[in-house]
Amino acid sequence: MKTVASKEESKKSTGQEGQSKSLTVMQRRWRKFKSLKRGYISLLILVIAYITSFFLPVLVNNKALIVHYEGSTYFPAVSDLFARFGASSFISGEQLGQAGNPGEAHYRLLQDQYEAEGGDNWVVMPLYPFGPIEDLNVDGNEVFMAPLTSKHDAPPRLLGTDNVGRDVFARMAYGFNISISFALIVAFVAYSIGIPFGAFSGYFGGWYDILLQRVVEIWLALPFLFLIIIIVALLEPSFALLVTLLAAFGWLQISLLMRAEFYREKSMDYVAAAISIGVPTHKILLKHILPNSLVPIITYLPFSIVLGISELVSLDFLGFGLPPPDPSWGQMVNVGLQNITTGYWWLVISPLSAMFGTLLLTVFIGEAIREAFDPKTFSRLR
Amino acid sequence: MAEFFTRRLLLAIPTFFISTFIVFVIVTMAPGGPLEQQLAQLRQQAVEGGGGGLDFNNDIPPSEKAKLERYYHFHLPYHLQYMVWLGIWPRNAQDLSVEINKVRNIGKGQRAKVIQNEDGSYRVLNARDLSQELTEWEIEMMTADDGTVEPRLVRKEFSGILTGNFGESFQFQQPVIELIIERMPVSLQFGLIGFILSYSVCIYLGILKALNHGSFFDFTSSVVVFVGYSIPGWALGAVMLVIFGGGSFLDLFPLGGFQSKNWAEMGFWAQVWDRAHHFVLPTIAYTIVQFATLTMLTKNSLLENLSQDYVRTAFAKGLREKRVIWLHAMRNSIIPLASRIGAVIGIFLASSYLIERVFNIEGIGKLSFEAVLARDYTIVFAFTVISVTLLIVGQMISDLALALVNPRIRFR
Repeated sequence: MKTVASKEESKKSTGQEGQSKSLTVMQRRWRKFKSLKRGYISLLILVIAYITSFFLPVLVNNKALIVHYEGSTYFPAVSDLFARFGASSFISGEQLGQAGNPGEAHYRLLQDQYEAEGGDNWVVMPLYPFGPIEDLNVDGNEVFMAPLTSKHDAPPRLLGTDNVGRDVFARMAYGFNISISFALIVAFVAYSIGIPFGAFSGYFGGWYDILLQRVVEIWLALPFLFLIIIIVALLEPSFALLVTLLAAFGWLQISLLMRAEFYREKSMDYVAAAISIGVPTHKILLKHILPNSLVPIITYLPFSIVLGISELVSLDFLGFGLPPPDPSWGQMVNVGLQNITTGYWWLVISPLSAMFGTLLLTVFIGEAIREAFDPKTFSRLR
Repeated sequence: MAEFFTRRLLLAIPTFFISTFIVFVIVTMAPGGPLEQQLAQLRQQAVEGGGGGLDFNNDIPPSEKAKLERYYHFHLPYHLQYMVWLGIWPRNAQDLSVEINKVRNIGKGQRAKVIQNEDGSYRVLNARDLSQELTEWEIEMMTADDGTVEPRLVRKEFSGILTGNFGESFQFQQPVIELIIERMPVSLQFGLIGFILSYSVCIYLGILKALNHGSFFDFTSSVVVFVGYSIPGWALGAVMLVIFGGGSFLDLFPLGGFQSKNWAEMGFWAQVWDRAHHFVLPTIAYTIVQFATLTMLTKNSLLENLSQDYVRTAFAKGLREKRVIWLHAMRNSIIPLASRIGAVIGIFLASSYLIERVFNIEGIGKLSFEAVLARDYTIVFAFTVISVTLLIVGQMISDLALALVNPRIRFR
């Protein structure tokens, strides 16, 4: 989409070209992208939010940041940061003086307990002291709490709780990290499959091309949501399985884009020149054609991320997404819609607003990238 | 052009067969199919029938299991099962247990007697007139898991989707075609209204946006379009339902469904009003994605044409602006839109399980999704066949429309 601002910017940038010829194409595109404020700001917001989301365990967690108990100090939330590398944050309640609790320590209660005891022991909780998979159904009757209400002297729940008393805000925040990571990984896998297949097909053509086109056509004709549901029902649902399945369907579009580019580029003079001076084929493909054919797939990237996120949320909503305790946006919407007449609106609105926000920012980035890469400027001749 | 379409059609045939075969194999491989469900049911009955001491694995006689397997044609390898389903391999239309040299009723008032020849082969004779051989019947040996061999009296026929037999739903005990046709009106109404609405509004909006390119109107409507583009229809539907459905905030629209429960008792206009009332939110959800892409397509396409030399020439000749835009530029701008017209065929199957689930509508999407859950193969296969066919036909319509509006296109 073109805006007034962008038209002026493009004029400006053509002016700049004269002064600094040393800029590469990519640098010029980046400069153009930065000048498109809506996309650039969206990118900044999204990147900062995503990086921050990796530190969620020390920001939003039901485990304490620091526990000081009888001379020794523990950092359970910090070890949660490294949970994906196998670090365990488990400390039993008895270990920290919470009598009669052999399970995981309940740090919010622990804080109150230490304060009441008035000794040397103390607890520092994270900014928002609720965790995404903290199940409070049993001991607190904290299910379906409305936003900004609190029970048992705990801080207010920003966005309420769900059907088993898990904090909606915490799940939403963790879900953001999972959704983006998921979409990025799916895109990465799909690109790694789609680029070589499309490139070979476009460059070599012939039978290989016809075969690949048929495969793509058949693949596209398959009822993809159905097959994913059947396969997920067949196998144990997991992050890796979902990535594999979505990538298995996602590479098609990329291979088509790549094929068209390589097909066009191979008839260019520079390729003929490279062939005639005896450059080996793999070098022609990688060093000569590839850099020239990246534009469509780079501009497609934000849209493939949008697709990845919405597919994950849809599958979670249907109950065929990530395995249950994982914080997921779709699962919350499902619970909310099942109880729609009772008015648990926050279960639907909160995760979907998070999703809308994320997707909208991504689309803004995508449009800005597309414009930055597109040399065409529309102008009305009149 | 005829040659082009013939070739397209010929290429579509392998696509059709291979994609349905892939679905067929994956679905039949999935555990929990009708056979397993029936076996579980039989086990349940055996337990309830007082056979408490039964071993859970061996409680079903192997011959019973083999019979059920034959009923679903699971005793055949996958490719033969697929061919039976297509109707190019004989299907066991009737499959009866039989004893040699005894008379057996085979339906339609006929009785048959099976006689073993001297060379060990069998002959099926009409029991009333032993000189007459019943050629459409034959004897097949059924080997159960425990190794016992039993003769079966079988009548085979070619009947499958290619002969128009989509089979019977295992859940509903009803022909699949009937089930789909029952739910067709829902999809058709959403599809048709959504199609008309999106094309009429989007083209107009796209033109307005192109003519006022860069204006405040263009900018604000773009944001709306982007929101529409980035949000999945069902998610927007869910939000609208929560806000306008009366559960929590405003009570403007019904909480899902296709029509009110007492719809049949209403007067005509009340019926129309009731449907329309139920329709607003789901239709928005159905249309929203198409809406965004179509608008942007129209806008960009018209903008590109407006910057062409022929438009400059037309203006230079002194033609009125309206004439240039509507007659010269628009004619070329609808070319990319024509390439999407094939989607029109989708209105027959305009169904998204997600939207139907959010709004609790009994459409084709819901039917087929629940069939997947219940492993009701026949519905899943029928749905696959119909959607693959519609996709292929839709693509051809698009090509044809493209050729009609763009005389530069030559089919080779």
